[in-house]
Amino acid sequence: MAAITTTAGRRAIPWGWIFGLGIPALVLARIYYLVNVVEVRDYAFFIGAMVQSLQLGSLYALIALGYTMVYGIIRLINFAHGEVFMVGAFISYFLFSGAPFALPWALLWSAVLAWGVAFILNLWRGSMTHPTVIAGGLVAFAALTFLLSTFQVNWVAALLLSMLFTGVLGVVIDRVAYRPLRGAPRISLLITAIAVSFLLQNTGLIVFTRNQTPFRPETDWTAFLQFDVLGGTVYTSRLMFLIPILTAVLVTALTLFVTRTRLGKAMRASAQDAETAQMMGINVNRVIATTFLLGSMLAAAGGFLWGLNFGSLNQPAVMGILPGIKAFAAAVIGGIGSLPGAVIGGLLLGFLENFMTALFPRQGDFPGLTEFKDTFAFALLIVVLLVRPSGIVGEDLSEKV
Amino acid sequence: MSDRETLLDMRQVTTHYGPIRVLHNVDMQIYPGEMVCLLGGNASGKSTTLKTILGIVRVSEGEMYFRGERADTLTTAERIERGMAVVPENRRIFPKMTVRENLEMGSYLRNDRKGIREDMDYVISLFPRIGERLNQMGGTMSGGEQQMLAMGRALMSRPKLILMDEPSMGLAPLFVEKIFEIIKTVNDEGISVFVVEQNANVALSVADRGYVLQTGEVVLSGPAQELLANEDMKKAYLGDV
Ligand SMILES: Nc1ncnc2c1ncn2[C@@H]1O[C@H](COP(=O)(O)OP(=O)(O)OP(=O)(O)O)[C@@H](O)[C@H]1O
Ligand SMILES: [Mg+2]
Repeated sequence: MAAITTTAGRRAIPWGWIFGLGIPALVLARIYYLVNVVEVRDYAFFIGAMVQSLQLGSLYALIALGYTMVYGIIRLINFAHGEVFMVGAFISYFLFSGAPFALPWALLWSAVLAWGVAFILNLWRGSMTHPTVIAGGLVAFAALTFLLSTFQVNWVAALLLSMLFTGVLGVVIDRVAYRPLRGAPRISLLITAIAVSFLLQNTGLIVFTRNQTPFRPETDWTAFLQFDVLGGTVYTSRLMFLIPILTAVLVTALTLFVTRTRLGKAMRASAQDAETAQMMGINVNRVIATTFLLGSMLAAAGGFLWGLNFGSLNQPAVMGILPGIKAFAAAVIGGIGSLPGAVIGGLLLGFLENFMTALFPRQGDFPGLTEFKDTFAFALLIVVLLVRPSGIVGEDLSEKV
Repeated sequence: MSDRETLLDMRQVTTHYGPIRVLHNVDMQIYPGEMVCLLGGNASGKSTTLKTILGIVRVSEGEMYFRGERADTLTTAERIERGMAVVPENRRIFPKMTVRENLEMGSYLRNDRKGIREDMDYVISLFPRIGERLNQMGGTMSGGEQQMLAMGRALMSRPKLILMDEPSMGLAPLFVEKIFEIIKTVNDEGISVFVVEQNANVALSVADRGYVLQTGEVVLSGPAQELLANEDMKKAYLGDV
């Protein structure tokens, strides 16, 4: 016989308080020690680390949102998402470095982008064959063909067009690879996702490049920036404003979409109970396609900003892997399926990576933790899974079934 | 009755889940303004019948007509646009959406803002308790409140025919009576009701007609009063009356 336990008899450990207050206290103590006792760092250095954390964390958050949205709605860990991020980065690169294109190429680009415009109009109008949709697609096709074959593309246009292009890629991946498997065992879907991921990596090698690629669009936002604070100097760039602000704008737009629009509400309804959503007349496949569209658009924005932040893109076969896995870890840490969770998890990971290396610098025989930078995400993932398997803001998963 | 125009007409409908046949040559008619109940034991195919009518489950043989139009080839959304709505088994309220958002999902396919607002007011007048809790999360409502919300959600599509799957399930007897009173009110407004019930006594006392399903086949049908008096019915579904 199992003993009867009540909540009153079994006091829960207040992990929230322990972590929420304990960790910042430890960090502050350590900073004080490094600055005032052993004097190997100044306070400005840690301000700089915070700035960097926010930048990197924003990037993880943008990618993590795609994982969490797709998981929320079809319970798939979309292993191809890191590669979608990679494609987004390269597409924006080709746009700002390649345009104006020769006419055949301009036609090809415009075809994909115009299809994206038509698809978005179709979400609003309800059918791909609606006159508005067809007209919008054709106008976009003509206009883009002209623009892309005539003018250079500045960074804003490159960002937006890359988001559109990559959004189309996400929709196509869902339509071709995942949708035929609705209702199939989840493992089939997972294996397919891995296959899509390999396919994109190798297509990238063939179509894009096989080399590390410098990523330098013409913009003032990458300009060097330094400011004095707390008796030291912080060295950074204007990206310290651009990346977090752009991320905040996109996250706000996404939040407004899922809380205010009909399609966004249908998305939440489908994530909570797909069959009932269908019983309300919601076209769940269309909602899923929208999820892929938005998740991939955010990943493309992440890819572009990633390029700006690091000044170069890794070669296509590897570029998406580590950011992808870390962003996935961020989504799980925050609570997979939850949008705020993905943002919190992403930011947390950004801070963790920068602060672990900042707090434990090379000192005498101790080599510092820089070498282990990439392992912190997974260490934190393990801790969170042990302490709170549903993630920081995630609800109990058993509740969902 | 047969010379009247049907609202819903199922002719020799058979459905399958994969290779397993669940409904077999089901013939059912619902006439405008009627309240019809569907009775039957567990796993007899009652929920499947509703899902077939709504298009969640496909008709594999036979035909179905809704308001004179061939309906078994329509999508679920098209059937809803033509006037079907469902109150699913176990209510199936969206737990992480507010009561208001749940109602909005009921009017998902509509574009007439004014009409939607009117229907929202109508639902609130029918269920004042829902009106008081528009901003509460659906999942935090009590079972009875969720049942009312599910009915309100169905009404939000301004349906011609409401399909209800065991609205009395898990509710206290007094509340069951109240729910059926409201169903009757809705029916009196001219909305046809097709209600699945295990609680045969209550259902037959308010319905016009009934069908009895056994392992996917209609074994008995007729006016509610006749079914209440039927000897086989008494033994099988009505208990010791
Ligand atoms: N999605 C499904 N896949 C396979 N079989 C199913 C599915 N849904 C229902 N069935 C089977 O179809 C039969 C009829 O199920 P149905 O839910 O229609 O019964 P019911 O009369 O509503 O029962 P209850 O009174 O318990 O709700 C059952 O044997 C059930 O196991
Ligand atoms: Mg049932």
